[in-house]
Amino acid sequence: MLRLSRRGLGALALAAGMAAAVPAKAADDIVLGGSIPMTGVFAFAGIGIQAGISDYLKIVNDAGGVKGRKVRFAFEDTAYKVDASVAVFNKIVAQDKPNLYYGDSTAFSKTINPELERSGQMIMAGASFATELNDPKKYPLQFMAGPDYTEMFGILLRYIAKEKPGAKVAFVNSDTEFGRDPIATSEKKAVELGLKVVEKIVTPPGSVDVSTEVLKLRRSAPDYTIFHGYVMAPIPEFIAQAKQMGMTSKFMGTFWSMDNSMVQKMGELADGFMGVMPYRYYYDEDGNAPMLAKIRQMRPEYQSTPYMQGFLTAMLMVEAAKRTLDKGEPLTGKTLKAALNSIKDFDTGGIIGVPISVPGNSIPVGRIYKADVQKKLMVPASDWIKLEQ
Amino acid sequence: METDWLLLFEVSLAGLGTGGLYALTALAFVVIYKATRVVNLAIGEILMLGAYAFFGLAAGWALPWWAAALGALAVAGLFGAVVERTVIRPMLGESPISVFMVTVGLGSVLIGIVEIVWTADPHRLPEFMPNAPVFIGEAFLAPKIAYSFLVAAVVIAVFVLLFRFWRGGVALRATANDQAAAYSMGINVPGVFSLAWVVACMVAAGAGILVGAIGGISSTMGVFGLSVLVVVIVGGLDSVPGALVGGLLIGLVEALAGIYLGGEYKLLATFTLLIAVLMVRPYGLFGTHEIERL
Repeated sequence: MLRLSRRGLGALALAAGMAAAVPAKAADDIVLGGSIPMTGVFAFAGIGIQAGISDYLKIVNDAGGVKGRKVRFAFEDTAYKVDASVAVFNKIVAQDKPNLYYGDSTAFSKTINPELERSGQMIMAGASFATELNDPKKYPLQFMAGPDYTEMFGILLRYIAKEKPGAKVAFVNSDTEFGRDPIATSEKKAVELGLKVVEKIVTPPGSVDVSTEVLKLRRSAPDYTIFHGYVMAPIPEFIAQAKQMGMTSKFMGTFWSMDNSMVQKMGELADGFMGVMPYRYYYDEDGNAPMLAKIRQMRPEYQSTPYMQGFLTAMLMVEAAKRTLDKGEPLTGKTLKAALNSIKDFDTGGIIGVPISVPGNSIPVGRIYKADVQKKLMVPASDWIKLEQ
Repeated sequence: METDWLLLFEVSLAGLGTGGLYALTALAFVVIYKATRVVNLAIGEILMLGAYAFFGLAAGWALPWWAAALGALAVAGLFGAVVERTVIRPMLGESPISVFMVTVGLGSVLIGIVEIVWTADPHRLPEFMPNAPVFIGEAFLAPKIAYSFLVAAVVIAVFVLLFRFWRGGVALRATANDQAAAYSMGINVPGVFSLAWVVACMVAAGAGILVGAIGGISSTMGVFGLSVLVVVIVGGLDSVPGALVGGLLIGLVEALAGIYLGGEYKLLATFTLLIAVLMVRPYGLFGTHEIERL
């Protein structure tokens, strides 16, 4: 505790010192603050998120801002460490007085929540889709720009139940807060859908070799295996060994292991890999998606799924700010969240393929995509699936 | 529950297979400790460096895998020589804890370099091992584990022979036993230090290529070194046989714990074993009875 508060003080002192040096900024800027993991284990995501948020804000500002007010993105690197995220938060809050904030992890979102409620100045979203955060009573000023992890499993399980009623399902998760999140709740959901959860495997964080786990998986002979809590490793080796042993299970992932460039790094092994994705991929030209066309125009090269997540998060935040100001209310946590929750059948410009609503803390919508190894692309395997809230 | 003997056998094989990789990395650790009394905590990161060097040469420069592997070993060897000469040797005579901290810093620097050059994105190494499953009787063994184990076994065997018969190996053992006596017998002790670092870094890089081939590479793969630290403490910091037995033992215990208790108990089992061994033999199973209090 002492260490944290000391760091906080240090950050404050630093912020005070720097305030003099920072160039003058327009007083009525709306600030979107961010603890963003630009380095460290989650840098892959952080870099995309940062680009996505920046691009959306550029679009907004180029069009005149929100009621004439510019939206400015103030962020710093956290290396995906909670103490660093908190220090960055303290610094940006002191320096820039943000009304919107992007946090980088479940742990950070939980740690900072009391402070968020105490200050009451902003709403927060972030990289976490933790089931726990999807509780407007406990986390009244937070939200997530997609389904929570249990809802992601719900979408996958519903797809499975439709494709193969009564199928045998196995869950493989990393032994981290992120990995454990949806397992218990999803087991219940599977039973409700008439599926059998035949095996649950936990891998220690950073484990290299998964051969014992694959042996265990083979004994239970699942029809579907769902991975959760990984970006890439050890999924490829898991699939490789399972195929070598002649397993016929289909393999699935959740949002953070579904980026196209990551999946295609698996090469041939990716063949048939499926998963749940709340957003359209960068290259998706089907359907009416003017926002994707705009993104492709701004950035001709492929943008990751974290980019889309950052982009949509910024879009929802800006929409909440706009609705608040339209009502003539001041920007506070409470008014912004109320405005966010008033979003109903909202058109995301095609980022999500169906109109969305944000009645609580999440957007329980997604679609199953499947890897096409020949095209080196993730292609849709289902229509958009909306879970009832 | 009826015992599934085939499963037990397969799991044991898989555990021993991983254990071979632990043993190989532990060997790198032991060689440095034995010769120079430096606890090198950067061994996991040196392993990572080797894997990334291989990745850079094989995927970036499109060299054939064997040339990339040799290149990666050379890079790691050169790295070892430079680090020993410029960072470690000036620390000679300083307290062990200082040198220990230097190696911690070295690990951070390596992670930084890798993230700057290759970004923090995880990558897959190009496939270079045969893909066909290996069966021992009816038992399945993942091919990468099997071939990695073979490579590790051969390298370790070569080392045991070198230590026993080669002049350099004998000089290394002599230096480990008594530096002053080795000096007076005309052994080039600083040369031995350099040799130990070069060789250990090459071994670690080799282990890195194998580990990376199995689990993919990322800037966090250095945590593999943490398991290896357990291996060398269990086996004895300065014992080559200890590294072997410790590696296989830890691999086996992890595998069995993983399958019969669940993945969340793997580390618990390993560290319980560590505590148990330390209580009975504080210097490790095969270590010299000499305790350095840090």
